[in-house]
Amino acid sequence: MPRAQWPLLHDRPIIQVILVLVQGGQPLVRNLLADTGAGTAQSGFELLLDEQDCLLCGGIPLQGVVLGGAYVGSYPVYLVQVRIPMLGFDQAVPTVGIPAAPAGFDGIACFQFLNRFTYGNFADPGQFGLEI
Amino acid sequence: MSTSKTVQELNRELARKLVAEGRNNPQSVYAGKFVGIANGQVVAVADNWDELARRLRQVEPDPSKTFGVEVGRDYDVVQEIWGLR
Repeated sequence: MPRAQWPLLHDRPIIQVILVLVQGGQPLVRNLLADTGAGTAQSGFELLLDEQDCLLCGGIPLQGVVLGGAYVGSYPVYLVQVRIPMLGFDQAVPTVGIPAAPAGFDGIACFQFLNRFTYGNFADPGQFGLEI
Repeated sequence: MSTSKTVQELNRELARKLVAEGRNNPQSVYAGKFVGIANGQVVAVADNWDELARRLRQVEPDPSKTFGVEVGRDYDVVQEIWGLR
């Protein structure tokens, strides 16, 4: 089964995704904090990314959401094409546009996204991974 | 009635109507569907976001003229993002 694994970043689990720019050029590589505490299995959004990234990648505007906790208030949501090449993953994913990502990361992979896969350290405490 | 509404305003207005309709009428034709709007009109209906994105891009390549909504979802619910400590 295909598996993608990444070393912990700042001692926290991450996943790495690729975003394709609308106007061409080098794709954006983004390190997202893998956070099962972000949203629920039915939140309706799967990632949190800098809103500028959502726009640069031609995100399709969706109905906004109301967040509480680490981010409070109403936020825009975009349908963003997300790739994880090692898994052959290439899908449009509902993504909340935030003004600033958590320090040291480019955004958050929420529980609804992680829950698409089998996830964990796969017996290596220095890494985090996804498996289809 | 104002004639100067932007495409995004028209799209959002229609999305609000679809969400309200889905809330009031669970038998609505769009209930449970992912609906794509472009230039103030429904142009695509799909069973998931990925399918909707593909259809919407075919109809209207400019994302700023498009909008998507999941009819039947309660968009007023506060979604918790647990903070980093």
